[in-house]
Amino acid sequence: MGYTPEMKELIKRVEATRPARMEKARRGENFPALSLEERAVVLEKFHPDYQKEGRRPIRTGPDKGLVLPEEIASMLESRSMLRPENVDLSNPDFETDVLIVGGGGAGTSAALLAADAGVRVIMTTKLRHGDANTMMAEGGIQAAVQESDSPYYHYMDTIGGGHFTNQSDLVAALAHDAPLSIAWLESLGMMFNKFPDGRLISRHFGGSSRKRMNSAGDMTGAEIMRVLRDEARNRGDQITILEFCPAVELILDEDGKCAGAILYNMETREFFIAKAKATIIATGGNGRLHIKGFACTNHYGATMDGVVMCYRAGVGSTCLFSTQYHPTGVAYPEQNVGLLITEKVRGLGAHVLNIDGEQFCFPLEPRDVESAELIKEALEVGKAVITPTGRYGLWLDSPMIDLLHGEGTVRRELPAKFIQFERHGIDISKEPMLVYPTLHYQNGGIAINADCETTIPGLYSAGECTGGLHGENRLMGNSLQDVITFGRRSGAAAARYVNGGVELKKLTLDHVVKYEKELVEAGVENPMVAPILLPDYSTDEVASRRLLEIQGKLEAE
Amino acid sequence: MSHHHDSKEPKQKKKVQVATGDRAILPEGATTIPVYIMGKRYEVPETLTIMKAMEYAGFKFLRGAGCRGGICGACPTVYRKPGDYKLHFGLACQTVVEPDMYLAQIPFYPANRAAYKIEDLEPNPEIIFSLYPELFRCVACNNCTKACPMGVDVLGYISALKQGDIARAAEISFDCIQCGMCASRCMGELPQYHIAQLARRMYGRAIMPRARHLAKRVEEIESGKYDEMLKSLQTMSHGELEKRYKEREREPDMAPNGTWLPANDPYL
Amino acid sequence: MKVSYYPGCTLKTKAKNLEDAAVASMAALGVDFEELTRWNCCGAVHSLADDDLIHQVAPVRDLVRAMEQGSDKVVTLCSMCYNTLARANLLMRQDEVKRKTINDFMNEEKDYHGEVEVLHFLNFLRDQVGWDTVRNAVKVPLNGLKVAMYYGCTLMRPRNVAIEPIGDTRIMGEFLEAIGAAPVDFPEATTCCGSYQILANPEAAHDVSGRILESAIRAGAEAMVLSCPLCEFNLSKKQPEVLKKNKISREVPVYYFTQLLAMALGLGQEACRFDLNSECSVELLKNKNFPV
Repeated sequence: MGYTPEMKELIKRVEATRPARMEKARRGENFPALSLEERAVVLEKFHPDYQKEGRRPIRTGPDKGLVLPEEIASMLESRSMLRPENVDLSNPDFETDVLIVGGGGAGTSAALLAADAGVRVIMTTKLRHGDANTMMAEGGIQAAVQESDSPYYHYMDTIGGGHFTNQSDLVAALAHDAPLSIAWLESLGMMFNKFPDGRLISRHFGGSSRKRMNSAGDMTGAEIMRVLRDEARNRGDQITILEFCPAVELILDEDGKCAGAILYNMETREFFIAKAKATIIATGGNGRLHIKGFACTNHYGATMDGVVMCYRAGVGSTCLFSTQYHPTGVAYPEQNVGLLITEKVRGLGAHVLNIDGEQFCFPLEPRDVESAELIKEALEVGKAVITPTGRYGLWLDSPMIDLLHGEGTVRRELPAKFIQFERHGIDISKEPMLVYPTLHYQNGGIAINADCETTIPGLYSAGECTGGLHGENRLMGNSLQDVITFGRRSGAAAARYVNGGVELKKLTLDHVVKYEKELVEAGVENPMVAPILLPDYSTDEVASRRLLEIQGKLEAE
Repeated sequence: MSHHHDSKEPKQKKKVQVATGDRAILPEGATTIPVYIMGKRYEVPETLTIMKAMEYAGFKFLRGAGCRGGICGACPTVYRKPGDYKLHFGLACQTVVEPDMYLAQIPFYPANRAAYKIEDLEPNPEIIFSLYPELFRCVACNNCTKACPMGVDVLGYISALKQGDIARAAEISFDCIQCGMCASRCMGELPQYHIAQLARRMYGRAIMPRARHLAKRVEEIESGKYDEMLKSLQTMSHGELEKRYKEREREPDMAPNGTWLPANDPYL
Repeated sequence: MKVSYYPGCTLKTKAKNLEDAAVASMAALGVDFEELTRWNCCGAVHSLADDDLIHQVAPVRDLVRAMEQGSDKVVTLCSMCYNTLARANLLMRQDEVKRKTINDFMNEEKDYHGEVEVLHFLNFLRDQVGWDTVRNAVKVPLNGLKVAMYYGCTLMRPRNVAIEPIGDTRIMGEFLEAIGAAPVDFPEATTCCGSYQILANPEAAHDVSGRILESAIRAGAEAMVLSCPLCEFNLSKKQPEVLKKNKISREVPVYYFTQLLAMALGLGQEACRFDLNSECSVELLKNKNFPV
């Protein structure tokens, strides 16, 4: 285990350039960052989002004509799991004030704020409560909490990092609420990294002008999720949690208001009608669609269910064509390929290096730019390491961290990452890591405003499934802040709407019928059935032996 | 019918495969090894994690898979190796398959959890004792620590709590992913990971000092200090935004938090 | 010689005065007294399994911790912890079969054969520090304070772990004399305080506690010293109920022996922690003009 002898030889080149680089780092000198014009050039040429192939206009729905990645377009041009004519909506199995679809950071924050406002909540989640990308976010959560910073700079960094394509009301809401979110989490008992006097430890990150990244070890998201989940469990009288029970279709009423959703118990394969005065979609991202075949850092359930259901009901999207590739996914060892190495590693001062141990980019560019620079170094310059399994890798010089901040910093600040590599015989406080960009985040999604409202009354959305906040590129630490800020906002807004008095009319699935008719008219042949709920990783050989499934598909066609 | 490759069969020369997404392939040069999934034999490529190996064998997870990155606690797996009486524990997404391992996943294990109102709790160990009296059923057998796939010193934090040291328990238990393996092995029937969660929240809320600068910032925001500033940014022209973005001053890397303040900054 | 100090859970929660006083006293006596960096409960918990060997796992693990740190002695203050650790140690030294079973069960630890010696603090004071050292260090002799020496059971029973041969118990008297107090022997000095009966059958516990207090009063004691938090609970914390039930009219101040030591060494309230004792305990010392 550990690095092969050949790779250990290559590491010597990294070690050879390290003393000179360390001296520069101690003086506060960095490899120069790109200008806005230079960023545009490298993105255009090397970022997967900017490539033409693998994209096409969508043929149906509110965003008809919008050019999207093939995987997303075909998932939106899909038909329902249900046959609407066979569904009896007159006897709901559940009735509640607020139905929350998704049990991650946004959904759970929404549930707590809605409960605070005195309404009854059902939170339904596809896997276990807390099985979500929130849990996996490592590096931190942005909030302008230090005296050197303010919501103004949070706004500026965010909108500049998003190349000025962000939806401005959402950015302003985020910058405004972020410190409130941190104070809320602190009062719930989250263990932030702090100095002995209680001051939050805030760090730089890619695209930051001020130190704004707050964290809890290198498992910030996991700590947030544990605390929120524990708190939701304390509110059992108001919050009912249904696990392994995803929503598969929205229900509207005759006036076009959202009236709940149809749930699917994945274990018993039963469908249930959940009638709700307000519904919040917080289903997370789409990494498990594996756009362009990239490995991904996402949770097993990240299959874009919420966007699909909302799109079918007539809710359009914002920036849905944009996907974030995290610049530093694991390239070696093979068992960890695709897994995220938090940006915090670079925030703590680690350099990104080519095969000769040379720096070729500023390590803290916005993520899309950083990714494009790594891809360029591999494809155009040709100075990437080739791993034993034939993958590209560039060095991330993690041993610099202990040298810069003192022995033991890696273990203390990156405990989970340390363990993960130690399992495979690599001590990242002594040896650098091999990295390459990996599919990380759904930048765009369901269109909302700053109160998390969609175009359908009574339908709200929050978190990674929404679009606009990050524009076409998200900064580190804005995703965790997104789920808390907008999770809280959606819960409060939905409760306000319910408390204002909601009269639901007769329930209907006519929007599904209408959308499927549109598919036929647009000539979409053999539409897939979505949401797909979970990815299928069976090998071709296994799939070819699944005779019943093959037969089922033939009959459907 | 078993379909594993027998060593006597001629190996087919495969063309080079490229792994896409998370679908496992038989990597070039890798051979297959037998593993026993809940007692049943499957041939899987060596070097894969248990999770990917099970998917390679044809399993589709409903329970027992989560983040696939070693942090969510959905895939704890217990296994034995040939000729070794010991039970081994690991996360399916992090543990590499070994020849002839016998494995089973334990995706859920029931454990008692006490409800409480965090705002009413003083950071007092007596409160933990009263919510979880079973704490004192611990006989220090250490099975919890041996079962932890994250290497957490579970007996260490349970001991710290019995000693009334909430802070120490919070620190020791920080890497807990709440998979429940400790509770599954406990002869005192303790729900260690729930007790630790309570300790961490007490610690984070009432023992760690609060961030005073954060409280001040919250006050400023609630007083509306930044409202006009943020409003004007929302209507600002692209050109002006870009200009201001370029002009931002970057806080020096090595300046400790709370020490660097730009002079005459109207936006703080 | 390297000595590890094993505190026990109760000393960290409900009997801080037992510990703080001892630790401060050791510092004042110039003794290096280092708490084990890792330790668990001594194992004095009620039964979980029929096989009593499991009860030995906890104390043996603590002894392994001491061995790991390179100590040949481990000192403890609480009578119950002392008893549990000492008996486990004896078992590991004497019973080869059980030793092997326990070592096999705890196979994640180093094998243990009784390498470490378990000492009660009183023995440690007498044999390692010496009464003369104590006497010379006394700044506030407890002149004229008549103190009943309560041993309870766990310092004395079973015989093979008794801190002194039964029938020839002098250690508490020597200790009290060294700090200038007047030891008072009394017939019920080794009678059980009622122990855990206080939970299941409090009346019965109050009966024996009453007998002990009465006996001490009759022997002319003004106060009582002890070394066990459970005895302290029954005889002091529960004293109001005990006095009422047994129609005893006089309160008996109760102290941990370490507190009197600390006071005699001239250490302040921070070390003595009389704030955690009953009111009458503080009053008595005030009346005697001791620095409380």
